[in-house]
Amino acid sequence: MIELRNITLKYGEREILKNVSLTIRDNTIKAILGPSGVGKSTILKLMLGLIKPNSGRVFVDGTDITRLKETELYPIRRKMGMVFQGNALFDSMSISQNLGFFLRENLNLPEEEVQERVAEQIRFSGLEGYEDQLPENLSGGMRKRVAIGRALIFKPHMILFDEPTAGLDPVSSKRILHLISTLQQSSNLGAVIVTHIIDDVFSIADHAAVLYQGEIIFDDETEKLHQSEHPFIRSILSDKILEL
Amino acid sequence: MPISVVRSLEKELTLKAKDFLLTMQEFFIFSMRAFFTLPKLTRYWRDFLDQAKICGTDSIPIVLVSAISIGSLLAIEVGNLLEEFGAKTMLGRSTSISVIRELGPLLMGLMLSARFGSRNGAELGAMKISEQIDALRAFGTDPIAKLVMPRLAAALVMFIPLTALSDFAGLQSAALLAEHYHRLDPGIFWNSVYPRLVPKDFVVGFLKAPVFAIIITLVSSYNGFIAKGGTAGVGRATIKGIVVSSGLVLIANFYVSKIVLENM
Repeated sequence: MIELRNITLKYGEREILKNVSLTIRDNTIKAILGPSGVGKSTILKLMLGLIKPNSGRVFVDGTDITRLKETELYPIRRKMGMVFQGNALFDSMSISQNLGFFLRENLNLPEEEVQERVAEQIRFSGLEGYEDQLPENLSGGMRKRVAIGRALIFKPHMILFDEPTAGLDPVSSKRILHLISTLQQSSNLGAVIVTHIIDDVFSIADHAAVLYQGEIIFDDETEKLHQSEHPFIRSILSDKILEL
Repeated sequence: MPISVVRSLEKELTLKAKDFLLTMQEFFIFSMRAFFTLPKLTRYWRDFLDQAKICGTDSIPIVLVSAISIGSLLAIEVGNLLEEFGAKTMLGRSTSISVIRELGPLLMGLMLSARFGSRNGAELGAMKISEQIDALRAFGTDPIAKLVMPRLAAALVMFIPLTALSDFAGLQSAALLAEHYHRLDPGIFWNSVYPRLVPKDFVVGFLKAPVFAIIITLVSSYNGFIAKGGTAGVGRATIKGIVVSSGLVLIANFYVSKIVLENM
């Protein structure tokens, strides 16, 4: 379980997050919805301890990670997988090297097991035949699947997605959303999805939180979004995509 | 001048000073972390070998070109000057001191600042912009140990032989020019080089190699690590890395010479 308690974050004079509290339970998919540049991706980075809040605390499975040192954070981060918006694949490495990189880097696993896990992710992501290709030779959707495979290779119990369908064509978007949904059902994996596409939220998220002007204005089951009277939520329900 | 203008100027200066101090603090911590991760070198030996090739073997041509050109120029110019005083036989001595103590390491430092420093700044800056550095951290890998420490270790190891090569090429080209341009017998040239060189000359020259290695690697890598603002940001980080490290190489060159020459 990940918990953000009364988080405030400033960049210079600008307050990005104002007293934000959120809880993400295991085995659920929670979407964080909001316009671009509002601080949604920042929330994911806070969950991983990549950035520190000005005030408030972040708990991962009951451990307060807010004041932990970088080296103390590494084992906690491995409980979560992160899929970055731009995928953040290592462009000089092949797909199978990208998938196996962190296993070789951080776990003392025998090479056979590393290769077995890589092959498993290749199969799961439907990338057979592309093992030796560089990321630049793949389509956007395929690169996203590699990034998901890389996030899954540690067998995390929570996976964080930063705009998983942004910039993808409708078919690839559907495929990625289906992949996330399958993961949750087959592996009992929890997920946090940051997005500005409201259809994605209704497609797969059990719970949703809406971030607006640095504050959480909605945090409940996804279906209850329709009952919200907040003018911003009413407007996004009618517009569907937040091009703000 | 109106008070409001003075106040806004004062505010701006305070902000810039604060920014500068914060950057210095960050750079200091970054550098310390790079040094403290050196014991992990055995784990990252492949990265070390890659970097050793990039900053060492691959830099040989540019180091040779700069050393040969400066050695040749020195031989011509200093030879002309010494000829006026009838002291042409001292050409070997004067060229060797200039090359070994100052110009060999300095030119090598500037060339590597441009070559190795720009590569570090651009590569790490691009990794930062594309969130690859965040990805390393997110999956539990220390990016400084993985990306900076092997570069630092490789530069520390490779800059010394490159300095030796630069000195050797500079002196050889000077000897060649002395013989063919000034019609000075090679025996006379080398006879004024070897017996007169003292350990101090080598200490000054070779002490600069690790100092330059540290400056170039850490400054360029740090600038890559803090790159922001898309591809233009990578460009800015690369340029800043080269400019700052080249400036620091020039300053360090002066102080290393001064300190060693005053104390040996």
